[in-house]
Amino acid sequence: MLFNQDIEIGAALQSGDLSVKLMEEKTRYSLRIKPNELAAFKKASGLKLPAKIGKSTRTTSHTYLCLGPDEWMVITTPENSNELRVKLEKTAAEFIYSYTDVSHRNVGFVLSGKQAASAINIGCPLDLSLDAFPIGKAARTVFENAPIMILRTKTAEFQLECWRSFAPYICGFFDRYETDISAYISE
Amino acid sequence: MENDKNMPYRKSGKGAVIGKKAIGFSFDGTDYQGLEGDTLASALMANGVHLMGRSFKYHRPRGVVGAGSEEPNALVTFDRGTGRVTPNVRATVLEIFEGFVARSQNNWPSLKTDIGAFNNTFSMFFPAGFYNKTFMWPKSFWDKVYEPFIRNMAGLGSAPTEADADVYASVYGHCETLIIGAGPAGIAAALTAVKTGERIILVDENPVFGGSLLSAPNDEIDGIKASDWLDKSVKILENAKNVTLMTRTTAIGYYHDNFIGLAERITDHIPNLKLGVSREKLHRIRAGKVIIAQGAIERPLVFNGNDRPGVMLASAAQTFLNRYGVAVGNTAVLFTSHDSGYAAAFDLADSNVRISLIVDARNEVPKDIQTEAAKRGIEIISAASISKTYGKNRITGVEVYVPSTGEKRKVNCEALLMCGGWTPSLHLWSHSKSSIRWDDNIAAYIPDQPNENAMCAGACNGDFGLRAALQGGNKAAGGRKSYKVHERDFGTGTTFVNLPNYIDASKQKAFVDFQNDATEKDINLAVREGFSSIEHVKRYTTIGMATDQGKTSNLNAMQIASKAIKKTVQQVGLTTFRPPYTPTTYGTIAGYRSGDLFEVERKTPMDGWAQKRGAVYEPVGVWRRARYFPKVGEDMDTAVARECKATRDSLGIFDATTLGKIEVVGPDAAKFMNLMYTNPWVKLGVGRCRYGLMLGEDGYIYDDGVVGRLAENRFHVTTTTGGAPRVFRHMEDYLQTEFSHLDVWLTSTTEQWAVIALNGPNARKLIEPFIEGIDLSPENFPHMAVREGKICGIETRLFRVSFSGELGFEINVPSHYGRAVWEALFEAGKQYDITPYGTEAMHVLRAEKGFIIVGQDTDGTVTPGDAGMVWAVSKKKKDFVGRRSLKRPDLVASGRKQLVGLMTEDPNVVLEEGAQIVADPNQAIPMDMIGHVTSSYWSESLGHSIAMALVMGGFDKEGENIYIPMQGKTHKAKIVKPFFYDPKGERLNVV
Repeated sequence: MLFNQDIEIGAALQSGDLSVKLMEEKTRYSLRIKPNELAAFKKASGLKLPAKIGKSTRTTSHTYLCLGPDEWMVITTPENSNELRVKLEKTAAEFIYSYTDVSHRNVGFVLSGKQAASAINIGCPLDLSLDAFPIGKAARTVFENAPIMILRTKTAEFQLECWRSFAPYICGFFDRYETDISAYISE
Repeated sequence: MENDKNMPYRKSGKGAVIGKKAIGFSFDGTDYQGLEGDTLASALMANGVHLMGRSFKYHRPRGVVGAGSEEPNALVTFDRGTGRVTPNVRATVLEIFEGFVARSQNNWPSLKTDIGAFNNTFSMFFPAGFYNKTFMWPKSFWDKVYEPFIRNMAGLGSAPTEADADVYASVYGHCETLIIGAGPAGIAAALTAVKTGERIILVDENPVFGGSLLSAPNDEIDGIKASDWLDKSVKILENAKNVTLMTRTTAIGYYHDNFIGLAERITDHIPNLKLGVSREKLHRIRAGKVIIAQGAIERPLVFNGNDRPGVMLASAAQTFLNRYGVAVGNTAVLFTSHDSGYAAAFDLADSNVRISLIVDARNEVPKDIQTEAAKRGIEIISAASISKTYGKNRITGVEVYVPSTGEKRKVNCEALLMCGGWTPSLHLWSHSKSSIRWDDNIAAYIPDQPNENAMCAGACNGDFGLRAALQGGNKAAGGRKSYKVHERDFGTGTTFVNLPNYIDASKQKAFVDFQNDATEKDINLAVREGFSSIEHVKRYTTIGMATDQGKTSNLNAMQIASKAIKKTVQQVGLTTFRPPYTPTTYGTIAGYRSGDLFEVERKTPMDGWAQKRGAVYEPVGVWRRARYFPKVGEDMDTAVARECKATRDSLGIFDATTLGKIEVVGPDAAKFMNLMYTNPWVKLGVGRCRYGLMLGEDGYIYDDGVVGRLAENRFHVTTTTGGAPRVFRHMEDYLQTEFSHLDVWLTSTTEQWAVIALNGPNARKLIEPFIEGIDLSPENFPHMAVREGKICGIETRLFRVSFSGELGFEINVPSHYGRAVWEALFEAGKQYDITPYGTEAMHVLRAEKGFIIVGQDTDGTVTPGDAGMVWAVSKKKKDFVGRRSLKRPDLVASGRKQLVGLMTEDPNVVLEEGAQIVADPNQAIPMDMIGHVTSSYWSESLGHSIAMALVMGGFDKEGENIYIPMQGKTHKAKIVKPFFYDPKGERLNVV
């Protein structure tokens, strides 16, 4: 069966200043754990969950984001999907918590280039300067009328995730922004 | 090039535009020459043109009053081609370029000969409130006669008729310090703030930085010319990495927590720019600290004839001379009550403009000013006034009146400069809800206590003069520098509420608000008519309203009103300043959010398939859903009838992805479900489904949906499409407040699953070959059950449910496989004549079964009892949301509207949804309305129309006839049970 995210990214969004790439298929789980059980849960599950809201940890294969007082997101590749599921089911007996598969609820984008932060800031009101939003910081926020999640992966690189049906709307803004920056630069 | 034949009023060696390229532009169809850097106003005046518009109400000829964004009069229509026409732009801020086109407005047939000016002749009949009082009767005349007439006569430019061809941008931004205004105060503040290394934004509404420095080039700062100091300072700021400099950018509004709207004009000054590049940009800035250096606006004097073209603020004339090299006339008179007015007269005199006379309303003129005037051979008359002005479309002279002697004297001039003191600009400061206080020394309000981390510097703080501005800006940014400044003393002035005149007050036209055409008389009339609050006076006279926001008029109006009301100005108060500070296009406010980006339009993974198939869509919430799939030549009714029949006869396929989905997980999941829904959940077996009914706290139906239990501690809840976000919030709200003791978590999974609904007797046969790991036999997979397995090799949550009354399955697959699974099933379904159907057929099929749609058959006032759904309400549960309300006397009273079915006498009549129902069609109007139709369709299966309705005491009226008056005819219908098709539900069990 064909995996199809059905999202078109404007051809112009591949320049050095602003590149927007659609992420390939990912496995995503939303975890809800009582904060006071976090340490024990981490030990039992082996998941590298960060303790503070807005923090993330990344391994070569997994990204862990703390998005709320009792809420985490784990993102990995589909090859690790079964292993992750087994871990989550294994710990279910010992802990009171919730895990829900949201792999296809979201789509992810990688924005890079020196205009990446500015491109997000056309719709997102957060301060994305390096001081206020350092590498590794994650936040659930908004992009105009769409709820989004952002993670800074490098100085000039962000991962942006949204629910799948909001993606064309967000990409539409990036297209318009690209038209503007290329016009001003060539001016 | 003095007295160039093209630009006879251009002065050589003056102004930043001198020496720049000559450019051609057009105003009202006449071609003129200007210079690069000119505004439309400066370029027209360089050509000797002062008449630029007609006034709002009286159509009086009007010229330029100011030199910047405070301009109330010279509003023009700026034309950049089809779809790019902007009315009501101030000529004083409009930058010209080669090929620039603008025209005057509010006149017919032409600016010079305007028929509407008869309003002026009869102006004694058009006082404030005239329209409200006169055009009252007869009432029927208002819509068709009075309002169109008034709208046509009054007003400014015409609203554009074409869609805006331009696009706009919007961004968010952050800084530690935002400095608004790049005059001497703003620049001094920026030079100090830059040293912190923090992010600084400096904005100015003009195309270049400098503010008042551009109008006073002879001043000296720290031993160098002001213009050199400006260049040097801007270079420092340009080279600083932490400073963002923005010209052509107006701070339009100051909102909570130092949130400022900046409107940047990007392309209007660039000729022939291609479409598609954003014309303007809204910057939404969150600033740590805001330094407001907005400056001050000179106050006009209120005297008879003060609105004739050629009468302008003294500072404006000075700016036109020093910044644009334009003399506002070859001869001029100054009328002043403040020392600062003399600066303009002296600068003009030094540029060979003849100052015929200076009229000072005050009794005493400072000695040094008298000396300066004498040096230039200029005569000053003190304790005098101007009693009238001469000229038609341009001032030709003034009449000077000396009240002590009664002497009158006519003096010829081409321009009259006026100066009534200065008004600090408090607009943004006031937007921020910071307080103001009255300062008697300058007879104006000045900033008092801030409400945000903000401060004012320079003239907007009441600190006038160059040195004060520099020091103020420096201090506001935390500096302690002392500037050495050589400048002309700013001086002091006196405020005159009524200037002496021998002409009867009722015959004078002394304008207070030029833009709204309101005079001193209007204010006095308002007060005589009993308006004693300044806010009421404002609304009655329209002073200080609309795009101008009282920039030149507020203080004069307030002082006139305070005298008439006989209260102090402090007691009278000041009207509220409202954003935007200057007129702002809708495009800027919308930013990128226009066209496709105006609102999110959510589409399902199968949407593209439906589009290829020629689906007609309808919006449901912010989703777009396929409403029906017409074949060539089919209208909606035909298509829907075909889709319904095909589904009942064989097999229909429907995209149900938009249904809201919430995964409820945790050891207390069943307990939580018990509290949120009316039904019992604890005993629902794993793998089974139940219809869930949700109430609000008020006991009324809030939402519904099928819920499947996937495990002891895991429920897959579905909601209505439009209700999904609301239901999620409702649940989360209760979980966090009332039921926080429960160990359960909610996750929205609406978009995780694509949902393919298959309905019809062949549904099972179609999926059988594609299913792995699920026993589909009716014994092992009964109606209202859910199983997990695979379909087409993709994991699935397979529900056996039916919203059509046929054998039905809802196939949940991960979204990004939805389209592939749909296509595979559709291909295989061809052997069963599989038919895609849309929301309209879905509605018909469910109505035939009497299934309600929340929000259509309920309206927020319908209880489960009213809907005939007490079966869904547990009688054993001790608590659930809405339970207590269900016992309220009015919710159990008899005679409530109840949901029933209707069968029309004429089977072909499909009732209007929303139509009212009466018991007796012969009753005199107004009849008693006993209910309304909620759902109504043609039922192809029954060969008869069907309807559902809410009718008072409807359950007891079964079998009775009721009447539905509709356009043209009243229809008769019988009340029946709302189960029209297969009432026993046997079709669900087809094997």
